[in-house]
Amino acid sequence: MKTKKHENHTYIIESEDMERKNEMLLQYIKEKVNQLLQIMGTKPLRDEELNDESLIAIDPIGIIAESFEQVLDHLKESNRQLQLARDYLQAVFDTAGVGISIIDRDLKIIKCNEKQKELLVNGVSQIEGRHCYEVYCGIDSPPLICPAIETLEMERAVFLKEVTKKGKVFQIVTSPLRDRSGSISGVIEVSMDITEKKRALEAMCQSEKLAAVGQLAAGIAHELNNPLGNILGYAKLLLMEQDTTEFQKNRLEVIIEQAKRGSSIIKGLLEFSHQKMPVFERISLNACIELALRSLSDEIRSNNIEILTGLGTVPYVMADPKQMEQVIYNILLNAIQALEGKGGIVEIKSEALNGSVEVTIKDNGPGIPKEHLSRIFEPFFTTKPVGKGTGLGLSICAEILKKHSSNICVESEVGKGTKFSFRIMGGVTGNV
Amino acid sequence: MADKSGINLDVINLDIRGQICPACLLISLKEINKHKGLLRDGEANLIVKTDHRDATRTIPDAAIAMGYAVFVEKKKGYYEITVGRKDEDQKA
Ligand SMILES: Nc1ncnc2c1ncn2[C@@H]1O[C@H](COP(=O)(O)OP(=O)(O)OP(=O)(O)O)[C@@H](O)[C@H]1O
Ligand SMILES: [Mg+2]
Repeated sequence: MKTKKHENHTYIIESEDMERKNEMLLQYIKEKVNQLLQIMGTKPLRDEELNDESLIAIDPIGIIAESFEQVLDHLKESNRQLQLARDYLQAVFDTAGVGISIIDRDLKIIKCNEKQKELLVNGVSQIEGRHCYEVYCGIDSPPLICPAIETLEMERAVFLKEVTKKGKVFQIVTSPLRDRSGSISGVIEVSMDITEKKRALEAMCQSEKLAAVGQLAAGIAHELNNPLGNILGYAKLLLMEQDTTEFQKNRLEVIIEQAKRGSSIIKGLLEFSHQKMPVFERISLNACIELALRSLSDEIRSNNIEILTGLGTVPYVMADPKQMEQVIYNILLNAIQALEGKGGIVEIKSEALNGSVEVTIKDNGPGIPKEHLSRIFEPFFTTKPVGKGTGLGLSICAEILKKHSSNICVESEVGKGTKFSFRIMGGVTGNV
Repeated sequence: MADKSGINLDVINLDIRGQICPACLLISLKEINKHKGLLRDGEANLIVKTDHRDATRTIPDAAIAMGYAVFVEKKKGYYEITVGRKDEDQKA
Protein backbone atom coordinates (compact mmCIF):
# COMPACT_ATOMS: atom_id res chain seq x y z
CA MET A 1 0.00 0.00 0.00
CA LYS A 2 2.61 2.29 1.07
CA THR A 3 4.52 1.72 -2.02
CA LYS A 4 1.38 1.80 -4.19
CA LYS A 5 0.29 5.04 -2.73
CA HIS A 6 3.67 6.27 -3.30
CA GLU A 7 3.51 5.11 -6.89
CA ASN A 8 0.15 6.75 -7.37
CA HIS A 9 1.46 9.95 -6.05
CA THR A 10 4.36 9.83 -8.37
CA TYR A 11 2.06 9.21 -11.33
CA ILE A 12 -0.07 12.19 -10.47
CA ILE A 13 2.92 14.32 -10.14
CA GLU A 14 4.27 13.09 -13.48
CA SER A 15 0.91 13.64 -15.19
CA GLU A 16 0.66 17.16 -13.83
CA ASP A 17 4.14 17.75 -14.99
CA MET A 18 3.32 16.49 -18.51
CA GLU A 19 0.29 18.71 -18.70
CA ARG A 20 2.31 21.69 -17.67
CA LYS A 21 4.93 20.80 -20.23
CA ASN A 22 2.28 20.47 -22.95
CA GLU A 23 0.76 23.75 -21.92
CA MET A 24 4.16 25.35 -22.22
CA LEU A 25 4.71 23.80 -25.63
CA LEU A 26 1.33 24.94 -26.88
CA GLN A 27 1.99 28.41 -25.60
CA TYR A 28 5.32 28.35 -27.32
CA ILE A 29 3.78 27.22 -30.62
CA LYS A 30 1.06 29.89 -30.41
CA GLU A 31 3.64 32.53 -29.73
CA LYS A 32 5.74 31.42 -32.69
CA VAL A 33 2.68 31.24 -34.94
CA ASN A 34 1.82 34.77 -33.94
CA GLN A 35 5.35 35.88 -34.57
CA LEU A 36 5.21 34.34 -38.04
CA LEU A 37 1.82 35.87 -38.72
CA GLN A 38 3.20 39.22 -37.74
CA ILE A 39 5.99 38.77 -40.24
CA MET A 40 3.36 37.93 -42.85
CA GLY A 41 1.74 41.24 -41.98
CA THR A 42 -1.30 40.21 -40.04
CA LYS A 43 -2.48 40.51 -36.45
CA PRO A 44 -1.64 37.88 -33.84
CA LEU A 45 -4.26 35.27 -33.12
CA ARG A 46 -6.54 35.86 -30.23
CA ASP A 47 -7.00 32.89 -27.91
CA GLU A 48 -10.58 32.30 -28.97
CA GLU A 49 -9.71 32.48 -32.67
CA LEU A 50 -7.77 29.31 -32.77
CA ASN A 51 -8.20 26.76 -30.04
CA ASP A 52 -5.68 24.06 -29.35
CA GLU A 53 -7.26 21.56 -31.75
CA SER A 54 -7.57 23.83 -34.72
CA LEU A 55 -4.01 24.95 -34.10
CA ILE A 56 -2.90 21.45 -35.00
CA ALA A 57 -5.63 20.87 -37.61
CA ILE A 58 -4.98 24.02 -39.59
CA ASP A 59 -1.23 23.52 -39.35
CA PRO A 60 -0.34 27.22 -39.43
CA ILE A 61 3.39 26.62 -39.14
CA GLY A 62 3.28 24.26 -42.08
CA ILE A 63 1.31 26.77 -44.15
CA ILE A 64 3.59 29.62 -43.30
CA ALA A 65 6.71 27.53 -43.92
CA GLU A 66 5.46 26.59 -47.36
CA SER A 67 4.52 30.20 -48.08
CA PHE A 68 7.95 31.31 -47.00
CA GLU A 69 9.46 28.85 -49.41
CA GLN A 70 7.55 30.62 -52.18
CA VAL A 71 8.59 34.03 -50.87
CA LEU A 72 12.22 32.94 -50.96
CA ASP A 73 11.89 31.49 -54.45
CA HIS A 74 10.32 34.69 -55.60
CA LEU A 75 13.06 36.75 -53.98
CA LYS A 76 15.74 34.62 -55.60
CA GLU A 77 14.10 35.01 -58.99
CA SER A 78 13.61 38.74 -58.50
CA ASN A 79 17.22 39.08 -57.49
CA ARG A 80 18.36 37.18 -60.56
CA GLN A 81 16.25 39.40 -62.79
CA LEU A 82 17.47 42.54 -61.05
CA GLN A 83 21.05 41.43 -61.47
CA LEU A 84 20.39 40.75 -65.15
CA ALA A 85 18.69 44.11 -65.64
CA ARG A 86 21.54 45.79 -63.81
CA ASP A 87 24.13 44.05 -66.00
CA TYR A 88 22.26 45.08 -69.15
CA LEU A 89 21.95 48.65 -67.96
CA GLN A 90 25.59 48.79 -66.97
CA ALA A 91 26.59 47.47 -70.39
CA VAL A 92 24.45 50.07 -72.14
CA PHE A 93 25.75 52.75 -69.81
CA ASP A 94 29.37 51.84 -70.45
CA THR A 95 29.25 51.23 -74.18
CA ALA A 96 26.97 54.12 -75.11
CA GLY A 97 28.47 56.39 -77.72
CA VAL A 98 27.36 59.37 -75.67
CA GLY A 99 28.53 60.65 -72.33
CA ILE A 100 26.04 60.00 -69.54
CA SER A 101 26.18 61.52 -66.08
CA ILE A 102 23.88 61.33 -63.13
CA ILE A 103 24.02 64.54 -61.15
CA ASP A 104 22.32 65.30 -57.84
CA ARG A 105 20.42 68.42 -56.79
CA ASP A 106 23.63 70.07 -55.55
CA LEU A 107 25.17 69.57 -59.00
CA LYS A 108 27.47 66.87 -57.67
CA ILE A 109 28.28 63.96 -59.92
CA ILE A 110 26.88 60.70 -58.62
CA LYS A 111 28.02 58.54 -61.49
CA CYS A 112 29.23 58.89 -65.06
CA ASN A 113 30.06 56.46 -67.82
CA GLU A 114 33.35 55.77 -69.57
CA LYS A 115 32.45 57.87 -72.60
CA GLN A 116 31.78 60.89 -70.43
CA LYS A 117 35.21 60.49 -68.84
CA GLU A 118 36.81 60.18 -72.24
CA LEU A 119 35.04 63.33 -73.46
CA LEU A 120 35.40 65.76 -70.63
CA VAL A 121 37.37 64.38 -67.75
CA ASN A 122 41.03 64.77 -68.42
CA GLY A 123 43.13 63.30 -65.73
CA VAL A 124 40.75 63.89 -62.81
CA SER A 125 40.78 60.68 -60.82
CA GLN A 126 38.03 61.29 -58.27
CA ILE A 127 34.90 62.33 -60.15
CA GLU A 128 32.03 61.09 -58.03
CA GLY A 129 31.01 63.63 -55.42
CA ARG A 130 32.56 66.59 -57.19
CA HIS A 131 30.64 69.41 -58.84
CA CYS A 132 29.85 68.85 -62.48
CA TYR A 133 30.76 72.41 -63.48
CA GLU A 134 34.15 71.94 -61.87
CA VAL A 135 34.92 68.62 -63.58
CA TYR A 136 33.15 69.10 -66.92
CA CYS A 137 33.30 72.85 -67.51
CA GLY A 138 36.51 73.57 -65.62
CA ILE A 139 35.03 76.48 -63.64
CA ASP A 140 34.61 77.25 -59.93
CA SER A 141 30.93 78.18 -59.88
CA PRO A 142 27.87 77.15 -61.90
CA PRO A 143 27.75 78.81 -65.33
CA LEU A 144 24.99 81.27 -66.25
CA ILE A 145 23.54 78.99 -68.86
CA CYS A 146 23.43 75.44 -67.59
CA PRO A 147 20.90 72.87 -68.81
CA ALA A 148 21.21 70.86 -65.59
CA ILE A 149 20.22 73.84 -63.46
CA GLU A 150 17.38 74.66 -65.83
CA THR A 151 16.10 71.10 -65.62
CA LEU A 152 16.20 71.21 -61.81
CA GLU A 153 14.39 74.54 -61.72
CA MET A 154 11.86 74.03 -64.49
CA GLU A 155 11.42 70.30 -63.80
CA ARG A 156 11.60 69.43 -67.46
CA ALA A 157 14.05 68.17 -70.05
CA VAL A 158 16.35 70.73 -71.65
CA PHE A 159 18.13 70.47 -74.97
CA LEU A 160 21.21 72.51 -75.70
CA LYS A 161 21.89 72.57 -79.41
CA GLU A 162 25.49 73.58 -79.21
CA VAL A 163 27.90 74.29 -76.42
CA THR A 164 31.68 74.39 -76.37
CA LYS A 165 33.49 72.81 -73.45
CA LYS A 166 37.20 72.27 -73.26
CA GLY A 167 37.59 72.88 -76.98
CA LYS A 168 34.94 70.38 -78.04
CA VAL A 169 31.45 71.06 -79.30
CA PHE A 170 28.58 69.25 -77.61
CA GLN A 171 24.90 68.73 -77.84
CA ILE A 172 23.46 68.20 -74.38
CA VAL A 173 20.16 66.85 -73.16
CA THR A 174 19.30 66.95 -69.48
CA SER A 175 16.27 65.20 -68.06
CA PRO A 176 14.91 65.16 -64.55
CA LEU A 177 15.68 62.12 -62.43
CA ARG A 178 12.72 61.33 -60.23
CA ASP A 179 12.64 59.19 -57.12
CA ARG A 180 9.82 56.82 -56.22
CA SER A 181 7.66 59.60 -54.83
CA GLY A 182 7.96 61.50 -58.10
CA SER A 183 10.01 64.40 -56.79
CA ILE A 184 13.16 65.38 -58.62
CA SER A 185 16.28 64.01 -57.02
CA GLY A 186 18.73 64.96 -59.74
CA VAL A 187 19.50 65.22 -63.41
CA ILE A 188 20.57 62.80 -66.09
CA GLU A 189 22.86 64.58 -68.49
CA VAL A 190 23.65 63.13 -71.90
CA SER A 191 26.42 64.76 -73.91
CA MET A 192 27.05 64.06 -77.55
CA ASP A 193 30.33 65.15 -79.10
CA ILE A 194 29.45 66.93 -82.35
CA THR A 195 32.85 68.51 -82.95
CA GLU A 196 33.59 66.37 -85.99
CA LYS A 197 30.05 66.59 -87.31
CA LYS A 198 30.13 70.34 -87.08
CA ARG A 199 33.48 70.57 -88.77
CA ALA A 200 32.26 68.33 -91.61
CA LEU A 201 29.13 70.43 -91.96
CA GLU A 202 31.14 73.62 -92.10
CA ALA A 203 33.47 72.14 -94.68
CA MET A 204 30.45 71.15 -96.73
CA CYS A 205 28.98 74.65 -96.50
CA GLN A 206 32.34 76.03 -97.48
CA SER A 207 32.61 73.90 -100.58
CA GLU A 208 29.01 74.62 -101.50
CA LYS A 209 29.74 78.30 -101.15
CA LEU A 210 32.78 77.86 -103.32
CA ALA A 211 30.84 76.03 -105.98
CA ALA A 212 28.11 78.68 -106.05
CA VAL A 213 30.66 81.46 -106.21
CA GLY A 214 32.44 79.59 -108.95
CA GLN A 215 29.40 79.37 -111.17
CA LEU A 216 28.46 82.98 -110.64
CA ALA A 217 31.97 84.19 -111.21
CA ALA A 218 32.45 82.15 -114.35
CA GLY A 219 29.36 83.72 -115.90
CA ILE A 220 30.16 87.32 -114.98
CA ALA A 221 33.85 87.07 -115.71
CA HIS A 222 33.23 85.82 -119.17
CA GLU A 223 30.79 88.63 -119.95
CA LEU A 224 33.14 91.29 -118.54
CA ASN A 225 36.23 90.08 -120.29
CA ASN A 226 35.20 91.29 -123.75
CA PRO A 227 34.17 94.85 -122.85
CA LEU A 228 37.30 95.19 -120.73
CA GLY A 229 39.41 93.95 -123.62
CA ASN A 230 37.82 96.57 -125.86
CA ILE A 231 38.45 99.37 -123.36
CA LEU A 232 42.05 98.30 -123.13
CA GLY A 233 42.44 98.01 -126.88
CA TYR A 234 40.88 101.37 -127.71
CA ALA A 235 42.79 103.13 -124.96
CA LYS A 236 46.03 101.72 -126.35
CA LEU A 237 45.04 102.88 -129.86
CA LEU A 238 44.31 106.38 -128.58
CA LEU A 239 47.66 106.45 -126.84
CA MET A 240 49.34 105.84 -130.18
CA GLU A 241 47.60 108.83 -131.83
CA GLN A 242 50.01 111.62 -132.78
CA ASP A 243 47.97 114.56 -131.53
CA THR A 244 47.17 113.44 -127.95
CA THR A 245 48.42 115.87 -125.36
CA GLU A 246 50.62 114.90 -122.44
CA PHE A 247 47.64 115.47 -120.13
CA GLN A 248 45.44 113.16 -122.23
CA LYS A 249 48.21 110.53 -122.30
CA ASN A 250 48.39 110.48 -118.51
CA ARG A 251 44.68 109.93 -118.28
CA LEU A 252 44.78 107.20 -120.90
CA GLU A 253 47.48 105.45 -118.93
CA VAL A 254 45.24 105.49 -115.87
CA ILE A 255 42.47 103.95 -117.98
CA ILE A 256 44.82 101.26 -119.27
CA GLU A 257 46.16 100.50 -115.80
CA GLN A 258 42.68 100.24 -114.30
CA ALA A 259 41.45 98.07 -117.16
CA LYS A 260 44.42 95.79 -116.61
CA ARG A 261 43.59 95.58 -112.94
CA GLY A 262 40.05 94.72 -113.85
CA SER A 263 41.10 91.92 -116.11
CA SER A 264 43.52 90.54 -113.56
CA ILE A 265 40.68 90.32 -111.06
CA ILE A 266 38.64 88.55 -113.70
CA LYS A 267 41.51 86.22 -114.38
CA GLY A 268 41.55 85.35 -110.67
CA LEU A 269 37.84 84.74 -110.65
CA LEU A 270 38.07 82.53 -113.70
CA GLU A 271 40.94 80.59 -112.23
CA PHE A 272 38.98 80.15 -109.08
CA SER A 273 35.80 79.19 -110.81
CA HIS A 274 37.17 76.93 -113.47
CA GLN A 275 38.24 74.50 -110.79
CA LYS A 276 40.61 73.05 -113.29
CA MET A 277 41.58 69.49 -112.62
CA PRO A 278 45.33 69.40 -112.10
CA VAL A 279 47.43 67.83 -114.79
CA PHE A 280 49.87 65.73 -112.82
CA GLU A 281 53.48 65.67 -113.91
CA ARG A 282 56.74 64.71 -112.35
CA ILE A 283 57.92 68.11 -111.25
CA SER A 284 60.30 69.90 -108.95
CA LEU A 285 58.69 72.16 -106.37
CA ASN A 286 61.95 74.07 -106.13
CA ALA A 287 61.52 75.07 -109.76
CA CYS A 288 57.98 76.30 -109.01
CA ILE A 289 59.36 78.40 -106.16
CA GLU A 290 62.01 79.95 -108.44
CA LEU A 291 59.38 80.79 -111.06
CA ALA A 292 57.03 82.40 -108.53
CA LEU A 293 59.87 84.45 -107.08
CA ARG A 294 60.83 85.62 -110.55
CA SER A 295 57.27 86.77 -111.33
CA LEU A 296 57.25 88.75 -108.11
CA SER A 297 60.71 90.30 -108.44
CA ASP A 298 59.31 93.81 -109.10
CA GLU A 299 57.13 93.75 -106.00
CA ILE A 300 59.96 92.38 -103.91
CA ARG A 301 62.32 95.10 -105.02
CA SER A 302 59.88 98.00 -104.78
CA ASN A 303 58.74 97.01 -101.29
CA ASN A 304 62.26 96.63 -100.02
CA ILE A 305 61.84 93.03 -98.98
CA GLU A 306 64.60 90.62 -98.18
CA ILE A 307 63.99 87.10 -99.44
CA LEU A 308 65.73 84.22 -97.69
CA THR A 309 65.56 81.03 -99.67
CA GLY A 310 66.37 77.63 -98.26
CA LEU A 311 65.67 75.15 -100.99
CA GLY A 312 66.57 71.69 -99.82
CA THR A 313 67.37 68.52 -101.66
CA VAL A 314 63.85 67.30 -102.18
CA PRO A 315 62.27 64.49 -104.17
CA TYR A 316 60.29 65.08 -107.32
CA VAL A 317 56.55 65.17 -106.80
CA MET A 318 53.52 64.39 -108.93
CA ALA A 319 51.69 67.69 -109.25
CA ASP A 320 50.40 70.30 -111.68
CA PRO A 321 53.35 72.73 -112.10
CA LYS A 322 51.18 75.74 -113.08
CA GLN A 323 48.94 75.24 -110.08
CA MET A 324 51.87 74.73 -107.69
CA GLU A 325 53.44 77.91 -108.93
CA GLN A 326 50.16 79.71 -108.37
CA VAL A 327 49.85 78.48 -104.80
CA ILE A 328 53.36 79.66 -103.99
CA TYR A 329 52.79 82.93 -105.85
CA ASN A 330 49.59 83.71 -103.93
CA ILE A 331 51.12 83.01 -100.55
CA LEU A 332 54.25 84.97 -101.39
CA LEU A 333 52.22 87.89 -102.67
CA ASN A 334 50.22 87.99 -99.43
CA ALA A 335 53.45 87.99 -97.43
CA ILE A 336 54.83 90.83 -99.52
CA GLN A 337 51.59 92.78 -99.22
CA ALA A 338 51.63 92.24 -95.45
CA LEU A 339 55.09 93.85 -95.31
CA GLU A 340 54.17 96.62 -97.74
CA GLY A 341 55.74 99.96 -97.01
CA LYS A 342 57.67 98.85 -93.94
CA GLY A 343 59.87 96.26 -95.57
CA GLY A 344 60.80 93.01 -93.91
CA ILE A 345 61.96 89.45 -94.36
CA VAL A 346 60.23 86.63 -96.21
CA GLU A 347 61.69 83.20 -95.78
CA ILE A 348 60.87 80.42 -98.23
CA LYS A 349 61.99 76.88 -97.63
CA SER A 350 61.55 73.44 -99.15
CA GLU A 351 62.30 70.32 -97.16
CA ALA A 352 62.09 66.58 -97.63
CA LEU A 353 59.86 65.04 -94.99
CA ASN A 354 59.15 61.28 -94.88
CA GLY A 355 59.00 61.02 -98.63
CA SER A 356 56.99 64.19 -99.15
CA VAL A 357 58.04 67.77 -99.71
CA GLU A 358 57.11 70.55 -97.34
CA VAL A 359 57.12 74.13 -98.51
CA THR A 360 57.14 76.86 -95.86
CA ILE A 361 56.70 80.58 -96.44
CA LYS A 362 57.29 82.78 -93.43
CA ASP A 363 57.12 86.53 -92.99
CA ASN A 364 57.77 88.88 -90.10
CA GLY A 365 54.76 91.03 -90.84
CA PRO A 366 51.84 92.08 -88.62
CA GLY A 367 50.36 88.58 -88.29
CA ILE A 368 46.72 87.54 -88.48
CA PRO A 369 44.38 88.09 -85.53
CA LYS A 370 42.80 84.93 -84.09
CA GLU A 371 39.29 85.88 -85.15
CA HIS A 372 40.42 86.09 -88.79
CA LEU A 373 42.42 82.88 -88.86
CA SER A 374 39.45 80.61 -89.47
CA ARG A 375 38.13 82.86 -92.24
CA ILE A 376 41.13 83.64 -94.42
CA PHE A 377 40.45 80.64 -96.67
CA GLU A 378 36.89 81.74 -97.37
CA PRO A 379 36.40 83.18 -100.83
CA PHE A 380 36.07 86.97 -100.76
CA PHE A 381 37.40 87.29 -97.25
CA THR A 382 39.83 90.16 -97.35
CA THR A 383 41.09 92.84 -95.00
CA LYS A 384 42.59 94.80 -97.83
CA PRO A 385 41.03 98.04 -99.13
CA VAL A 386 38.55 97.84 -101.99
CA GLY A 387 40.39 97.49 -105.27
CA LYS A 388 43.43 96.04 -103.57
CA GLY A 389 42.35 92.48 -102.80
CA THR A 390 39.44 90.33 -103.86
CA GLY A 391 39.93 87.79 -101.09
CA LEU A 392 40.34 84.92 -103.52
CA GLY A 393 44.07 84.22 -103.24
CA LEU A 394 44.04 81.79 -100.34
CA SER A 395 40.77 80.09 -101.30
CA ILE A 396 42.33 79.30 -104.68
CA CYS A 397 45.38 77.87 -102.88
CA ALA A 398 43.19 75.73 -100.65
CA GLU A 399 41.21 74.41 -103.61
CA ILE A 400 44.31 73.53 -105.59
CA LEU A 401 45.95 71.78 -102.65
CA LYS A 402 42.77 69.85 -101.98
CA LYS A 403 42.96 68.48 -105.51
CA HIS A 404 46.51 67.43 -104.71
CA SER A 405 45.28 65.54 -101.64
CA SER A 406 46.93 68.10 -99.45
CA ASN A 407 45.95 71.07 -97.38
CA ILE A 408 47.31 74.40 -96.34
CA CYS A 409 48.44 75.15 -92.81
CA VAL A 410 48.80 78.51 -91.18
CA GLU A 411 50.39 79.65 -87.96
CA SER A 412 50.36 83.27 -87.01
CA GLU A 413 51.07 85.53 -84.11
CA VAL A 414 49.99 89.13 -84.11
CA GLY A 415 53.02 91.41 -84.12
CA LYS A 416 55.43 88.57 -84.88
CA GLY A 417 54.52 87.23 -88.30
CA THR A 418 52.84 84.49 -90.25
CA LYS A 419 53.88 81.09 -91.52
CA PHE A 420 52.07 79.22 -94.29
CA SER A 421 53.03 75.68 -95.22
CA PHE A 422 51.83 72.76 -97.28
CA ARG A 423 53.01 69.29 -98.10
CA ILE A 424 52.96 67.38 -101.37
CA MET A 425 53.49 63.65 -101.47
CA GLY A 426 56.63 62.67 -103.30
CA GLY A 427 55.25 60.18 -105.78
CA VAL A 428 58.45 59.35 -107.61
CA THR A 429 61.97 58.48 -106.72
CA GLY A 430 64.99 60.62 -107.41
CA ASN A 431 66.01 63.93 -105.92
CA VAL A 432 65.90 67.31 -107.62
CA MET B 1 -13.22 25.39 -45.75
CA ALA B 2 -11.66 23.27 -48.44
CA ASP B 3 -15.09 22.04 -49.47
CA LYS B 4 -16.11 25.60 -50.29
CA SER B 5 -13.33 25.86 -52.83
CA GLY B 6 -13.31 24.10 -56.16
CA ILE B 7 -11.60 24.11 -59.51
CA ASN B 8 -13.79 25.73 -62.10
CA LEU B 9 -11.89 25.65 -65.38
CA ASP B 10 -9.11 28.04 -64.57
CA VAL B 11 -10.66 29.64 -61.54
CA ILE B 12 -10.17 28.30 -58.06
CA ASN B 13 -12.80 29.76 -55.77
CA LEU B 14 -12.28 30.20 -52.10
CA ASP B 15 -15.11 31.67 -50.10
CA ILE B 16 -14.06 32.66 -46.61
CA ARG B 17 -16.78 35.15 -45.86
CA GLY B 18 -17.57 35.11 -42.15
CA GLN B 19 -14.10 33.97 -41.17
CA ILE B 20 -12.10 35.87 -38.61
CA CYS B 21 -9.01 37.66 -39.62
CA PRO B 22 -5.73 35.83 -39.05
CA ALA B 23 -7.36 32.61 -40.03
CA CYS B 24 -8.36 34.26 -43.33
CA LEU B 25 -4.76 34.70 -44.21
CA LEU B 26 -3.78 31.21 -43.14
CA ILE B 27 -6.60 29.63 -45.12
CA SER B 28 -5.81 31.67 -48.19
CA LEU B 29 -2.11 30.89 -47.93
CA LYS B 30 -2.90 27.23 -47.60
CA GLU B 31 -4.96 27.41 -50.78
CA ILE B 32 -2.23 29.26 -52.62
CA ASN B 33 0.33 26.69 -51.50
CA LYS B 34 -1.91 23.87 -52.57
CA HIS B 35 -2.32 25.22 -56.09
CA LYS B 36 1.03 26.88 -56.51
CA GLY B 37 1.84 24.81 -59.61
CA LEU B 38 -1.30 25.91 -61.46
CA LEU B 39 -1.05 29.49 -60.22
CA ARG B 40 2.62 29.83 -61.12
CA ASP B 41 2.07 28.41 -64.60
CA GLY B 42 -0.83 30.77 -65.17
CA GLU B 43 -3.22 27.90 -65.66
CA ALA B 44 -5.53 29.07 -62.92
CA ASN B 45 -6.42 32.10 -60.85
CA LEU B 46 -7.42 31.91 -57.24
CA ILE B 47 -10.38 34.06 -56.32
CA VAL B 48 -10.81 34.68 -52.61
CA LYS B 49 -14.09 36.13 -51.38
CA THR B 50 -13.82 37.78 -48.00
CA ASP B 51 -15.80 40.29 -46.00
CA HIS B 52 -12.88 41.13 -43.79
CA ARG B 53 -11.39 44.48 -44.70
CA ASP B 54 -8.02 43.66 -43.13
CA ALA B 55 -7.71 40.63 -45.34
CA THR B 56 -7.66 42.88 -48.42
CA ARG B 57 -4.31 44.07 -47.13
CA THR B 58 -2.79 40.98 -45.54
CA ILE B 59 -3.59 38.51 -48.34
CA PRO B 60 -2.32 40.72 -51.18
CA ASP B 61 0.83 41.65 -49.19
CA ALA B 62 1.64 38.02 -48.58
CA ALA B 63 0.80 36.92 -52.13
CA ILE B 64 2.88 39.72 -53.66
CA ALA B 65 5.81 38.74 -51.47
CA MET B 66 5.40 35.24 -52.84
CA GLY B 67 5.61 36.60 -56.37
CA TYR B 68 2.01 36.63 -57.53
CA ALA B 69 -0.04 39.32 -59.17
CA VAL B 70 -2.95 40.39 -57.01
CA PHE B 71 -6.07 42.28 -57.88
CA VAL B 72 -8.65 43.44 -55.31
CA GLU B 73 -12.20 44.31 -56.25
CA LYS B 74 -14.96 45.60 -53.99
CA LYS B 75 -18.22 43.74 -54.51
CA LYS B 76 -21.56 44.18 -52.76
CA GLY B 77 -20.87 43.36 -49.12
CA TYR B 78 -17.57 41.59 -49.69
CA TYR B 79 -14.23 41.81 -51.45
CA GLU B 80 -12.89 39.66 -54.20
CA ILE B 81 -9.14 39.08 -54.23
CA THR B 82 -7.72 37.52 -57.39
CA VAL B 83 -4.31 35.88 -57.15
CA GLY B 84 -2.53 34.82 -60.33
CA ARG B 85 0.63 34.80 -62.31
CA LYS B 86 2.55 38.03 -62.82
CA ASP B 87 2.54 39.20 -66.43
CA GLU B 88 6.27 39.68 -66.72
CA ASP B 89 6.81 36.06 -65.70
CA GLN B 90 5.08 34.89 -68.85
CA LYS B 91 8.17 35.29 -71.01
CA ALA B 92 10.53 33.75 -68.38
N1 LIG C 1 51.13 86.75 -94.73
C1 LIG C 1 50.03 87.37 -94.24
N2 LIG C 1 50.13 88.24 -93.21
C2 LIG C 1 49.02 88.85 -92.73
N3 LIG C 1 47.76 88.64 -93.19
C3 LIG C 1 47.60 87.78 -94.20
C4 LIG C 1 48.70 87.09 -94.77
N4 LIG C 1 48.23 86.29 -95.75
C5 LIG C 1 46.90 86.46 -95.79
N5 LIG C 1 46.50 87.36 -94.87
C6 LIG C 1 45.12 87.79 -94.58
O1 LIG C 1 44.24 86.90 -95.23
C7 LIG C 1 43.31 87.62 -96.04
C8 LIG C 1 42.90 86.76 -97.22
O2 LIG C 1 43.96 86.52 -98.09
P1 LIG C 1 43.68 86.20 -99.60
O3 LIG C 1 44.97 86.00 -100.28
O4 LIG C 1 42.70 85.08 -99.66
O5 LIG C 1 42.94 87.47 -100.09
P2 LIG C 1 43.57 88.91 -100.37
O6 LIG C 1 45.05 88.83 -100.35
O7 LIG C 1 42.94 89.84 -99.41
O8 LIG C 1 43.03 89.19 -101.83
P3 LIG C 1 43.60 88.56 -103.19
O9 LIG C 1 44.59 87.53 -102.82
O10 LIG C 1 42.40 88.00 -103.85
O11 LIG C 1 44.21 89.70 -103.87
C9 LIG C 1 44.04 88.86 -96.39
O12 LIG C 1 43.15 89.90 -96.72
C10 LIG C 1 44.83 89.16 -95.12
O13 LIG C 1 44.01 89.78 -94.17
MG1 LIG D 1 46.09 87.43 -101.53
